[in-house]
Amino acid sequence: MNLLGISINHRTAPVELREALHLSEEEIRKFIQQTKDSAFAEGIIISTCNRTEIYAIPKNDKTNLKDLENLIKNYKSSFEVKDENFQHFISRESIEHLFRVACGIESLLIGDNQIFKQVKDSFQISEEMGFAGALIRRVMDAATHVGKRAINETAISEGAVTVSYAAVQLVEKIFSNLQKKSALIIGTGETGEIAAKHLRDRGIGRLALTNRSFEKAEKLAAELNTAVFPFANFKEHLHKFDIVVSATSAEGLILTKQDIEAAMKKRNYASMVLMDIAIPRDIDPESKKIDYVFYHDIDSLNIIVEQNLSKRKNEIAKVEKIIQEEIDNFFEWYNSLEAAPTIKTLRDYFESVRAEEVEKNINKFSEDDKEKLEIITKRIINKILHHPTIELRKMSESDLRAEDTAAKISIIRNLFGLDSKSKED
Amino acid sequence: MLPSIHTFNLLLPFFYLATFAIYFYDFQQGGKKFENSKRVFLFITLLVHFLYVLLRTIEFNHPPITNVFEIFTVLAFAISFAYFILELVTDIRGTGPFIIIISIVFQIISTFFIQDLAEVKEVLRSNLLGTHVISALIGYSGITISAVYGVLYLILYNEIKLNKFGLIFNRLPSLEILERMSFIAAIIGFVFLSITITIGIIWLPKAFTQFSYLDPKLIGTFAVWILYGIGLINKFLGKWRGKKLIILSILGFTLAILSTILTNFLAKSFHSFY
Repeated sequence: MNLLGISINHRTAPVELREALHLSEEEIRKFIQQTKDSAFAEGIIISTCNRTEIYAIPKNDKTNLKDLENLIKNYKSSFEVKDENFQHFISRESIEHLFRVACGIESLLIGDNQIFKQVKDSFQISEEMGFAGALIRRVMDAATHVGKRAINETAISEGAVTVSYAAVQLVEKIFSNLQKKSALIIGTGETGEIAAKHLRDRGIGRLALTNRSFEKAEKLAAELNTAVFPFANFKEHLHKFDIVVSATSAEGLILTKQDIEAAMKKRNYASMVLMDIAIPRDIDPESKKIDYVFYHDIDSLNIIVEQNLSKRKNEIAKVEKIIQEEIDNFFEWYNSLEAAPTIKTLRDYFESVRAEEVEKNINKFSEDDKEKLEIITKRIINKILHHPTIELRKMSESDLRAEDTAAKISIIRNLFGLDSKSKED
Repeated sequence: MLPSIHTFNLLLPFFYLATFAIYFYDFQQGGKKFENSKRVFLFITLLVHFLYVLLRTIEFNHPPITNVFEIFTVLAFAISFAYFILELVTDIRGTGPFIIIISIVFQIISTFFIQDLAEVKEVLRSNLLGTHVISALIGYSGITISAVYGVLYLILYNEIKLNKFGLIFNRLPSLEILERMSFIAAIIGFVFLSITITIGIIWLPKAFTQFSYLDPKLIGTFAVWILYGIGLINKFLGKWRGKKLIILSILGFTLAILSTILTNFLAKSFHSFY
């Protein structure tokens, strides 16, 4: 199988280069258009912030990995890409790497299941652009199946592996239903904004913002449809919130232990979660000593992240086992696309249909006619299959590319359901 | 039928231990391997236990509620059955081992000491006794489950406070859920203990000539009832919550256990049938 693959990823290239080689959806479409017209018959392009990968089947045997590299080099000619920035894959290696990517075990954040969706989206683009033939379709079906199995059968995607998700995981260990809870975000910089969006996505009941620059807070509040408190008097409202996330760039403490104690008294010591994700810290760590106050900073959230990453790493072996099983399944199917086994399966299938029908109706015939029935039906089957058999043999002996032959045989196998028949047998 | 009853009696602790083992393994390992099959194990154990109770009732012509060791086996069943229903209704699956282990303790004690009682005092054949004991059993199951969830709440509370994110953190439901489950179980416990005490006060003086309001079991149960009553009133008034209420529930359970030990094994009274 002549499936070629190249990858530029976090292991081979610095972030600047990865960013530079990132292809937007529009760029992928243009790239496919150019590639289709040149040396490659079908393929798929996956591009995320951490990787750009191209898998393609060449139109002729002379086309090689260097040609594939040149495609991306020429397309992004303003950036210098060295040979060592590429990983190369041929045939089985390409399939294996694609499966590993789809399962998230090649990701920077192991088990990141965003990549699974991105791989499926990439295939969608290839399909729409007419760049996905029978083989790529089958490869992508298998990749999707592997990704699903990895998610369902292992814990590779379980647990929070980013600080903001870890914060949400922690909050969910304290409160059972975020819809009934309220949260205040102090600081509307990038971190505060991400935290606000995470909480909103998790269905927080009420969300409010405060920031030294009121205009900035108002802007984000308008985007998220939340309330805004002036920074000068937000402490007066502190007791109204079950969750407080602080992410300012202030040098000193914004909330002292006394502030928290006062708020807790006002809320009759109902549980309050304080997430101090600022560096340096915004909330007095001594606040954790107050009953029903759950104070956590970046360090404690990182403990969760590290634990979950370690758990995910332990799942890699299980995922690799699934990948090997699915590679074997894929190549079992691929090898069946050779002419000889298909001729045999096709003939066996027709013979089984003939034998079944004869058996059902044999009693309607006299003893003399029974033998004739066998002979006549066999002759009909032979005549029907004569031309397809000759054509299949010709196909395997001709100069057609293996992938084209495989694609044609694949159509025949699909039409007569030969793959399911083989499995039943 | 007797050999079957004896075999069931010997097998029951093993059934509970096997169920506990699978629940504990699932708690420790996580994943989906035993997520559903552990329920089947618990169901089979409960079925075997139900058959055992039924066979005893038929064979000895009275339900097994006439002495403390008979009551222990029914209590073991009631606790696990209540948990089984709770797991089905709430789909909270991580707390099983902590409840089932209580059933194991009660069942093992019962298995060792239960006797074949064909003859029981006439007074113990009363229908009111049945209602009295069954409501007491449900009440004690309620406070046992409330205490278990209370202990789990305290453990998780401390783990989160101390940034310990281990098995307990990963497997247990949220603090709010644990608090709510402990509270609901406490309400059930309190309501049924109220019924138990009411029936007791009406029926006991008629049934026993040596009845005394100073009976240790009566005082113990009443103390447990008052403790839960105080806790629940303060919860409803919004004064107490979380740890305070949980600690009260655990204290109530401890008092109930101490009272049972004291009244059944140490102090002899009209209320002891062992």
